[in-house]
Amino acid sequence: MNRIVLALALSMLALGGAVIALSQRPWAPRADVVQPIPFSHRVHAGVNKIPCQHCHAYASRSSEPGIPAVARCVGCHGEKIGGGGIQPVTRAWTDDTPAAFEIQWNRVYALPDFVRFTHRPHIHAGLACQSCHGEVQTMDRVVPAFEINMGFCVDCHTEKKATLDCVGCHH
Amino acid sequence: MRKGTSISRRSFIKLAATAGAAAAIPGCEPAARQLIPYVVPDENVVPGVPSFFATTCSECPAGCGAVARIREGRVVKLEGNPADPIGQGSLCARGQAALQGLYNPDRLARPQVRGDDGAMRSISWEEAQKMLGDRLLAASKAGKDRVAFLGSPQGPTFRKIALEVLGAYSSSRAIFYEAISQEAARAAAKTIFGRRDIPSYRIDQAEVLISFGADFLETWQSPVELARQYSLFRTPQKRRGTLAIGRAIYVGPRLSMTASKCDDWIATAPGAEAEIAWSVLNVMVKQRWVSQNSGFDLAALAKAVANFDPAATSARTGVPVETITRLGEAFGRAQSGLAIAGTDDSSAHLAAMIINAVTGNFGKTVMFLEGSPAEETSTPDEVNAVIEAMRGGKIDALFINGGNPVFAMPASARVAEAIGKVPFVVWAGGVPDETAAMAKLLLPAHHPLESWRDTAPRAGIRGLGQPVMQPVFDSKPVGDILLGAAAGSPSAKLPWASAAEAVKTEWLALAPKAVGADPEDFWVSVRREGGLFEEQHLSATSLDLSAFKAPVPAAAQPELSVYAYPHIFLYDGRGADKPWLQELPEPVTQIVWDSWAEIHPETARKLGVAKDDIIEIKTEHGAIEAPVLVESTVRPGVIAVPLGQGHRAYGRYAKDVGANAWAMLAAGATSAAATARATGGTRRLVTPLGKSDMMGRSIVEAMSIEQLARGVVPESGAEEVSGPYEMYPPWKYPKHKWGMTIDVNACIGCSACVTACYAENNVPTVGKDGVDRGRIMSWIRIERYFPPPKEVAQAPQLYLAPMLCQQCDHAPCEPVCPVFASYHSEEGLNGQVYNRCVGTRYCENNCPYKVRRFNWFEPEWPTPLNLQLNPDVTVRGVGVMEKCTFCVQRIQFAELNARTEDRELRDGEIVTACQQACPTRAITFGDSNDPGSAMMRRREDNKLRNYRALEELNTQPAITYLRDLYREKGGA
Repeated sequence: MNRIVLALALSMLALGGAVIALSQRPWAPRADVVQPIPFSHRVHAGVNKIPCQHCHAYASRSSEPGIPAVARCVGCHGEKIGGGGIQPVTRAWTDDTPAAFEIQWNRVYALPDFVRFTHRPHIHAGLACQSCHGEVQTMDRVVPAFEINMGFCVDCHTEKKATLDCVGCHH
Repeated sequence: MRKGTSISRRSFIKLAATAGAAAAIPGCEPAARQLIPYVVPDENVVPGVPSFFATTCSECPAGCGAVARIREGRVVKLEGNPADPIGQGSLCARGQAALQGLYNPDRLARPQVRGDDGAMRSISWEEAQKMLGDRLLAASKAGKDRVAFLGSPQGPTFRKIALEVLGAYSSSRAIFYEAISQEAARAAAKTIFGRRDIPSYRIDQAEVLISFGADFLETWQSPVELARQYSLFRTPQKRRGTLAIGRAIYVGPRLSMTASKCDDWIATAPGAEAEIAWSVLNVMVKQRWVSQNSGFDLAALAKAVANFDPAATSARTGVPVETITRLGEAFGRAQSGLAIAGTDDSSAHLAAMIINAVTGNFGKTVMFLEGSPAEETSTPDEVNAVIEAMRGGKIDALFINGGNPVFAMPASARVAEAIGKVPFVVWAGGVPDETAAMAKLLLPAHHPLESWRDTAPRAGIRGLGQPVMQPVFDSKPVGDILLGAAAGSPSAKLPWASAAEAVKTEWLALAPKAVGADPEDFWVSVRREGGLFEEQHLSATSLDLSAFKAPVPAAAQPELSVYAYPHIFLYDGRGADKPWLQELPEPVTQIVWDSWAEIHPETARKLGVAKDDIIEIKTEHGAIEAPVLVESTVRPGVIAVPLGQGHRAYGRYAKDVGANAWAMLAAGATSAAATARATGGTRRLVTPLGKSDMMGRSIVEAMSIEQLARGVVPESGAEEVSGPYEMYPPWKYPKHKWGMTIDVNACIGCSACVTACYAENNVPTVGKDGVDRGRIMSWIRIERYFPPPKEVAQAPQLYLAPMLCQQCDHAPCEPVCPVFASYHSEEGLNGQVYNRCVGTRYCENNCPYKVRRFNWFEPEWPTPLNLQLNPDVTVRGVGVMEKCTFCVQRIQFAELNARTEDRELRDGEIVTACQQACPTRAITFGDSNDPGSAMMRRREDNKLRNYRALEELNTQPAITYLRDLYREKGGA
């Protein structure tokens, strides 16, 4: 009887382990994310040297850096520059309804809901965006450079003597 | 156990461990995988940073100002408007819960028309407006005054809109009424002063306050403002050499929350309050404790109240002669006093006003103020005239917006019958209620938070309400609906095309006419401030007693009467669709999600009923059934039933909960003679309360003002603790150590703090069954205890105090968490890390204050209630423990602001949600490391009143309470 129960428990353990191993953890880096428009950071931030905060304008003011509004893209592209895949921003703005002009970007970095990460103090502390997001200005398609898990954050916080207080981020 | 199957302890543990480890749960995917930016960004919106819009609260006639905190285009929290003279930055429980009215999942989503078979059919707005316009036009062609508007008061501009629109249909029948009306007060003011106004009060300028049935801390007139004045009235101050607090006496049938915060409760039958008031006047006039130059002919006054000498009144009411004489003496000999009346009996109001005027208090503690007039409401005669016109078939089209007359009008008015005679009834509103069930055309109307509107709650105060977000549903402003319909009428010459235009036009007309002043600047400033608040001047008032007739003693009191009072949270019924308000325990009885019949133990014996037995209460107008609550908080012979429950429509949170006390009442009376009998059924009354007796523990403490004046600290019943006992080295707090000082004397139990916490911290509601199982989730609660019978003379009438996580230095919950989810932060907080919590619940078990709350089920917020959730706070899932965090998200926000601006944090920069909402400023949050902080100074200034809850347990709480103050019985 004991042997059967033990065998059952061990197989459940193996099954559970397999489930964990095969399921994607929320913080696992998403290297396969494709965007609706083939926006290239290499061209914009690398070649044309546009500063990060020109488009991701709220990083120094808010928890969210902000994805640039469509108007930001149209500001430069309008109906002039570019071609091919950026028709969504170069087409004529004939319709007043925003939904028709929305661009739905796909998340590359997604922290779980119980982490209250805020960009503002990190920008204020002088961190370069590349410290966590990698060398984005060399990427045609953004892929994560690091696995952003708690260890990643705590290592840097320890090194830079920033807060290690749990409720600073978990509240 | 059989030998073959016996299992050794070692094997068992081996098995249990492996089996436990095998229960693996795969990782959960976060839902949001896309980022959708604005197409054209709003220059005022920074995603992640809140913006604030001033508006007005619309949840009761008090008209406090409110500020809406907007995140990403949706309002997530309402707070008080510091610029508003009524609320002065506080917002009560009803105001906080307005968000759940805005986001209520049962709000009408689109226009609907009722077919002849009774089935509802959705139609387009075009169709609806056309139907409305056609029917109103047809009605107006049939004659004058055949179109009527019936609704709740919504401000001077809306009144103008309604009158203009009705005028286009040859009608003047616009009725704006409140179910809980102030008519008795207005009638009394007309009789003495010749003006139908409500006076303004300054309780804080009085030394003695007598309330004849006025629940001024709960539902009477302007509870937030009066609560603040009351807290000043009860703050110890030096008076003629000794430390004293104001003396307050409540005369009424029930120990309401207001009565419990007074020194004495004189229990009278409902309706007898006026009798006591006249008798008090009799005493004061006879003893000449009146002002000689108040303008009254004292001889004539003495004659008028000759029937009310204390002996006669005592015989009629059962109140002892001694009590009445001492009441008269206390008031008459005080330097200043205030008498207020709350009943529907204008005789009581008359008596109270004369008492104030004849003692020279008019202009000091009660006054009429000058300025732009308060909003007009319809008189009861006007309301009755329209109802009778409906009954007589003289109205062809009725437009209803607010008020819910089918539910919230006394049974004697037979409103449903009258409305049933109107061929075309239009209902415009949010959640369809009982009145909507009788309407042919149902139109979704903007919630006040989505509307341009204004309020004029009293002279000199005009509040401006602006939309704080885009409409949640496909609704329209009621003003626009009316103007849109009337625009189709050929004779209409409407000055505005929309409610927004009307409000702006009306307000621009208020702009100062100075040379060079730009009215647009004025428009910007009133929207920013939330209104126009004039300097308050006394209005010249003179006595005009031509209409005054000598009062006549009331008829004998019936043996059993029912007393219906507005529920502090549900008010006249409008709050019942909001789960927060249903789940807030009524402060005195602590009952949730139900209505109840409160009866005295003697009456219970006579009726042969016990707690939870359902009785049928019958008056000549109707009958209801409610479970019994046996308490001494009500006079024998009186059944006290709260108004507000008993809906048969009005959404999932209100439907079929409790009984509608309006169904028993006659117009203009909140009480009636009644009979009661046990029905044989029972229904468990649900309360989150444990015991009502502190059992000698120091949870809430009090001391007498006399002890405070003498500098004597009362002996605590708890066991002696010989100094803090330290087992571990003490925590070091290099920067801040957060703490709170809570003044129990100022706390009135109104639960504004509780509701604000629900809103700020995404606290779920659990429903009646959940509360019954002890699963209520409120992070802060109002504890209510009765003083033990032996200590009644050395205690306040009721102990009421907020209880929340004490953020203990020696927290019992910290060492027992196996996964370190409960830990001590470097700033003195007991932190709860939701993602570490595995739900052993050992911490909840260990907490002596029982402030830790466990999520037994996955909390749900039916769309669009989830739009109210605060994005700064994690939404907890099932299996996670949570508790008060001292609003750590606000602490974090302020600290990061300070760091980014390279400065130190300022005292007062961090305001917790509970502190912000409190009308009496009972809670002060601050830094214990900073002796100059407001919190520490409040502690130091009241050193003798300091105590900590359950101090004998050596938990070293970060919260210091200040003892409640009561007056020794038998004193002066």
